Amino acid sequence: MSQYKFSERSEAFCQDLFQNMFDTSDAIYGILISTVDGHDVSKSFSRDMPAAKLSAMMSAILALGETIAVEAEQQQCRYVIVENSDGYILTLKIKDKLILSVIATTQANLGMLHSVSRNAAEKLAAQLR
Amino acid sequence: MSEIKLIITGPPGAGKTTAIAAISETAPVKTDTHTTDDLAAVKEQTTVAMDFGELTLDDGQKVFLYGTPGQRRFEFMWKILVEGGLGLIILVDCSRPDPLADLHMYLDNFADFIRQTSVVVGLTRTDHPDAPAVAEFYSSIESSGRVLPILEVDIREREDVALLINALVSTLEFSR
Ligand SMILES: Nc1nc2c(ncn2[C@@H]2O[C@H](COP(=O)(O)OP(=O)(O)OP(=O)(O)O)[C@@H](O)[C@H]2O)c(=O)[nH]1
Ligand SMILES: [Mg+2]
Repeated sequence: MSQYKFSERSEAFCQDLFQNMFDTSDAIYGILISTVDGHDVSKSFSRDMPAAKLSAMMSAILALGETIAVEAEQQQCRYVIVENSDGYILTLKIKDKLILSVIATTQANLGMLHSVSRNAAEKLAAQLR
Repeated sequence: MSEIKLIITGPPGAGKTTAIAAISETAPVKTDTHTTDDLAAVKEQTTVAMDFGELTLDDGQKVFLYGTPGQRRFEFMWKILVEGGLGLIILVDCSRPDPLADLHMYLDNFADFIRQTSVVVGLTRTDHPDAPAVAEFYSSIESSGRVLPILEVDIREREDVALLINALVSTLEFSR
């Protein structure tokens, strides 16, 4: 099966970036890059989670978020956030074919998670073809 | 009963999104994204969450149509989308390598839903040289102890989609 795959260099770039994100916030325990059609491409999890399944779900929820924005006549969906009693899951587009998901405990402040995720997505967009 | 929910499923490329776009009276809701895997050779876009469309039958009955993603990794959406549904349309693309196996895959995966509801099967791209004959579909379904309506359709045509929906709605009325 031909699937979207990073070069070794890109993968190393991602892992460095993921490490920076973990260092910035203790609350973050999962970072996942997947394709817009739901395949996992790169990840770093400090807890066990099903990357393949999460990738499919993240692509679905982000596509729904974008569609809901259009139906409600709002512009450009920036993030989809799932807020739970014990954590946040934040998903955003990196560029047209990739999405970034960041999973954190509620110890993170949501504003901080936004900025960490946005910065990472911008760096990734610049680095990845 | 003034509103009914119907679900359309089937393999990637069978035409679920196309069918809903063809028949919906309102602008259909789509969640298609770029394909990044083998499917890209067949199609540039694939559904990752759902399709949605609305129509009104001749007798004023309102129908809400929900299309599922076809790809297996979106199975979780199948369970979400059938909730509250009254009937299922399975589209089978006869140009794929094993259309009979495709049909049984969806019959098996939607088995719980099917037990409580009605199903019709729509065969698409039946002009493909390797397409099984309709009779093969009937006997293959019968051998698993079922009888289902099977229709050959061009899913791009509004009337053909209407045919499937009417067939499904009439079995619903019959079973009530
Ligand atoms: N040539 C030809 N094309 C057809 C026929 N029926 C459907 N198509 C095309 O096949 C494609 C079906 O694509 P979709 O509607 O996206 O399929 P889908 O079932 O929604 O697929 P997924 O969302 O990926 O599961 C469309 O481009 C249709 O125009 C047919 O009989 N002949
Ligand atoms: Mg589709």
